[in-house]
Amino acid sequence: MQLGFGRLVSHRFIALVRKELNQIKRDKRIMLSLVLPPLLQLMLFGSVMNPEVTNLPLGVVDDSRSPASRDLIAALAESGSFRLHMLYGSIDTMGNDISKGTIDAGVVIPYDFARDLERGRTTTVQVLLNAMNANTAAISQGYIQGVVQSFNMTLRQPSVALNVQAVPTAASSRGIAQLRPTLLYNPGGVTTWFIVTGLLGVLLLMNGTITASTTMVKEREAGTLEQLLMTPASISEIIIAKIAPPFFLLGITGLVAMAVLELYFHVPFRGSVTLLAVTSALCLLCGIGIGTAVATVTKSAQQAQLAIFFLNPPLISLSGALMPAEAMPSWMRPFTAVNPVYHYGVIARATLIKGSGLVDLWPNVLALLIFAVGLVSVSVWRFRRQLG
Amino acid sequence: MRTESFKRVIAQTRKELTELLRDRLAIALALLLPLLQLALLGSSFALIVRDLPIIVQDYDDSTASRALIDQFRGSLTFRIVPWPTDRQPDVAFADGRARGALVIPEDFGRNLARGTTADVQMIVDGSDANTAKLLAGYAGGVVRSFNQARGSVPVRAGVQTAIRFWYNPSLSSQKFYAPGIFVMALSMFPPLLATLAMAREGELKTILQVYVSNISAHEFVLGKVLAFVVVGLAEASVLLVFLFSFFGIRLAGDPTPFMLATLLYTFCVASFGVMVGAAIPNQGAAMQTVMFGGFLLVFMLSGLMFPLSNVPIGLRWISNLVWARYYIEIVRDAFLQGGGWPAVWYKVLVIAAIGSAFYGVAWRRMRRMQLEV
Repeated sequence: MQLGFGRLVSHRFIALVRKELNQIKRDKRIMLSLVLPPLLQLMLFGSVMNPEVTNLPLGVVDDSRSPASRDLIAALAESGSFRLHMLYGSIDTMGNDISKGTIDAGVVIPYDFARDLERGRTTTVQVLLNAMNANTAAISQGYIQGVVQSFNMTLRQPSVALNVQAVPTAASSRGIAQLRPTLLYNPGGVTTWFIVTGLLGVLLLMNGTITASTTMVKEREAGTLEQLLMTPASISEIIIAKIAPPFFLLGITGLVAMAVLELYFHVPFRGSVTLLAVTSALCLLCGIGIGTAVATVTKSAQQAQLAIFFLNPPLISLSGALMPAEAMPSWMRPFTAVNPVYHYGVIARATLIKGSGLVDLWPNVLALLIFAVGLVSVSVWRFRRQLG
Repeated sequence: MRTESFKRVIAQTRKELTELLRDRLAIALALLLPLLQLALLGSSFALIVRDLPIIVQDYDDSTASRALIDQFRGSLTFRIVPWPTDRQPDVAFADGRARGALVIPEDFGRNLARGTTADVQMIVDGSDANTAKLLAGYAGGVVRSFNQARGSVPVRAGVQTAIRFWYNPSLSSQKFYAPGIFVMALSMFPPLLATLAMAREGELKTILQVYVSNISAHEFVLGKVLAFVVVGLAEASVLLVFLFSFFGIRLAGDPTPFMLATLLYTFCVASFGVMVGAAIPNQGAAMQTVMFGGFLLVFMLSGLMFPLSNVPIGLRWISNLVWARYYIEIVRDAFLQGGGWPAVWYKVLVIAAIGSAFYGVAWRRMRRMQLEV
């Protein structure tokens, strides 16, 4: 009896799923919008959104005009972070170019630069950075100091070798501590890995909400929802059958997106792929749940579209998916705890790049699970109340 | 004759604004949502992380190593979280408890006392490469000041750098991003409303009434555009008040290029909306097109978030056509750099040119459909 009932349910359910699948198949626009945009978005956003600091145009005022100053300029220009744009005659003209935006960094080498170095005195080089973009400025500051530090190292060696007098003095001064930074997991410092792993969640959520709300609203606008209700299927069955096809299609898109991550962006897959797949499904369910819930409160496709459009930006911008969540002001950070995109982003980054497992990530997985179950049941409940 | 024509334009503008004022959703779209967006995105966009959790593994445990740790503890950028020395640092990275690990080897203090170079390792979680580079840079600064505090500047001191941060000395992310979000809001909402109004005329076929009336294509399009220029300027003023008060942003120099550019930019985006609405007489499809132009292009290819120089060359040329790009540069110049006319004059011209092109297309579209009298 139990078995027979179960088979009946699954039979009905399969019929409903097939109906939904056929509908999607016939509507080329939905089919296209399910598969194409997520991948295009991933590739586009992934290659466009890049906070890397390379090839900053650099201006130089070289008042010293000596071999030593030219060495320093060459060291800066060869570092890869800067590109020598021009040698200026005066600080004023260089300042003008910084304010016009032609160059982002300016170095002023004083006239007594080489003389001071020769005499073993400290000489100061002024560096002007266009700090409009705080991140670029902070990183280029680190680069410049690194270049200057290694420049100083090259200075010290010949002098020690040439000048015997210098050795005892060096010994009498105290030693210096030197920092050796190492980038774990990402020795090359590839910035795109951070963005694309965050984008994965953004895409799952965005496309989940959009497709779910459009398919739901469409049925209602066409007035065919009542017809569905006349069938022996229960409301939960109808809704789950409605959710299932976009879920599977977007799930496949998600898998393809992961392939893009691996093959196009060369993100390492260090952790458990199963964990990532399961959490991706949960994140997708969150998106679909939000989309369905929105569809129950709006009257037309246009309204639903607008509502989604105003829901998604805060969800995405407060997720730490595109920029580190730790950089947000502290009063905003608690909001990330209720954001599925945040939890998914943490999981995706940790599993893929760091190889973390469930032991480390269970709080995020649990949160995602709660959101997914909660959002889907809310949308089922809303539908039942509206139609029952 | 001239005044007649002028009157018809004004009448069209007034009709449009009255319609708008009666629609609560439209007013929310025009004023409230941009404000929310500015408040939310303007304060959440930031790349510079402060208060980074790091762990310390001190194998030396000497006075010198403790002094170095104190130097790290005293910096605003780092926060030391406790971690046992016998556990691998990457365990702390795996669950995100720490972003970096400072490893001090056991001969650190001895090497310092001997006067040789003492290495310290900083292992950084590289999964967020940008933050990792910042962290490495900051740590280098802390070690440098540790050396200076010990008075152990080497004999051949060599070159020191005096770095000046122009235009944004406190390295505030908001000063950079908030004006950008201002531009994004202005590129999104006025054209959205304009396109909805225009597409609605096509969808409801009220456009046919326009065809048979004696209003000319120029007068009709200009009337529509002017209405949304007014909307855009109202939105801009509200957002500017917010920028000045909430984000504490000030004008850096001559405001006249910014003022003129704002006027031209609202004309440009309103024309864009009207053009799309005239070309696509379907509200949903028109809205999507405007969202693509007003949101996606601006978000990706205007230099709003990340430097345009990082965009692959194949895509970068598109950014030359993105109208918001020029306006963003003008706005940032007005609020941060203060370069004034010499820095931005041609950008103002480009905005005017792109706006006129939009207007021209919208006008042609209308003229073609209008019946000859």
